[in-house]
Amino acid sequence: MNWVGLYTLVRRDIERVFRVATQSLVSPWVSALLYIFIFGFVIGKSIDLIAGVSYLEFVLPGILMMNIITAGFSHTSFGIYFQRFARNIEEVLVSPLSYFEMLVGHVVAAVVRALLVGLGIYVIALLFGAAAIVHPFWLVFYIVSVATIFALIGIIVGLWAKGFEHLNVLNTYVIMPLSFLGGVFYSVEMLPDKLKFITFSNPLFYFIDGLRYSMIGISESNRSIGLILIIGMILVLGGIVWRIFKTGWRIRN
Amino acid sequence: MKALEITNFKKSYNGNVAVDDISLVIKPGQFYGLLGPNGAGKSTTIHCITGIGRYTEGKIELFGHDVNDDYREARKRVGLAPQEFNVDIFSTPEKTIDYIAGYYGMRKKERKIRVAEVLEQFGLTEHKAKQFKQLSGGMKRRVMLARAMVHDPDFLILDEPTAGVDVELRHELWDHLRALNKSGKTILLTSHYLEEVELLCDTVAIMNKGKIVFEAPMADVTKNGTLEKKYLELTKDEL
Repeated sequence: MNWVGLYTLVRRDIERVFRVATQSLVSPWVSALLYIFIFGFVIGKSIDLIAGVSYLEFVLPGILMMNIITAGFSHTSFGIYFQRFARNIEEVLVSPLSYFEMLVGHVVAAVVRALLVGLGIYVIALLFGAAAIVHPFWLVFYIVSVATIFALIGIIVGLWAKGFEHLNVLNTYVIMPLSFLGGVFYSVEMLPDKLKFITFSNPLFYFIDGLRYSMIGISESNRSIGLILIIGMILVLGGIVWRIFKTGWRIRN
Repeated sequence: MKALEITNFKKSYNGNVAVDDISLVIKPGQFYGLLGPNGAGKSTTIHCITGIGRYTEGKIELFGHDVNDDYREARKRVGLAPQEFNVDIFSTPEKTIDYIAGYYGMRKKERKIRVAEVLEQFGLTEHKAKQFKQLSGGMKRRVMLARAMVHDPDFLILDEPTAGVDVELRHELWDHLRALNKSGKTILLTSHYLEEVELLCDTVAIMNKGKIVFEAPMADVTKNGTLEKKYLELTKDEL
């Protein structure tokens, strides 16, 4: 294992995050602040307790998860696409980093960015008095694993994209709708029985619900299904990305 | 041990043959010139040697390491200064070179010394903190060369290294390359400046339409005329 090379790849990516901190860190913090203030604080005051917790405490894990997903996905999709565009991806291709190290480097940097985004949102939530953590281990697990999944998806999209507009397709038409329909702002109990299955068929529901369990101890899903889904997705997507790096699809001419 | 051995290498893009069954050997310590008109297949060959390009037919080995199967060992031995500026334009020369040294496994202490050394060697010290996009064409070219050499590779591949640089830097670079070659480094050079190749290289090959149409020691070429004459003779149908 080329540890120094791997560390350098992560360091380079993290330095890029701080170089564009307004976009990569401040923007999600401001967005989360607005969500917390409007949905949690202003509207939340008029909503009864859900499963014994305030509405703000109920929506916070969903807001956090939405930003974790966006951070993981944006980091790799935009990062890889820009490296292809500027061709500096070749700096890594000609180096003695293995394909596995390339994969791990990009994913670790995306996870670090997601953790930084998450930490900032947590601090904001603390200011509103709503940042409980019931199961710290599961909190870290869900943040790291979901960021990993979307970092891997971001790599595929960053390689597939033929233009800037392609980078937003998945985010706008898949990730965002699934997040909103994954129980960020509502409890499954609020849905009519006929519509519940839509939420239960949405993978993002299990991610949001898992994080909610780790923060406020409430879960509406079968968490085992969520864990199998997370581990399965990491293995499948990881295998696909490793294969892409090995074959050079859209990277090597 | 051969520094580079290419055997029956072929490469096509969408059905168009870019490199058509070439074989060549470069021995350690050689200063090898690879010439040819645009589209002859020089850069494609270099891309496949270094890992930027992929290929399915033939075999390429660097110091006995297959560039596909044993790519990590092969890549440790090579430094590439490509024709295009394939750099993060918002980064600085110092950081760009430092990252490359890191990819090659150089630790912080060693890296700091080596990066400062190559920056100084290429007259980049006072420009080390500027963004790449703010540098002049010549300075950008220096960054490419410093980046290729930071890990002290045994084999240097220079694809049009003096394109767009002023005469002064070109002469400086020639002296530097001669010194490197003298110290035992193997160099593969492509250039459109035939006098540059004639002056520096001990062996030359000419590619045309994806094939190597000529290969000889430089002394033999210049004994019977000039490199330019030979080049024009072999590629005239392209001009």
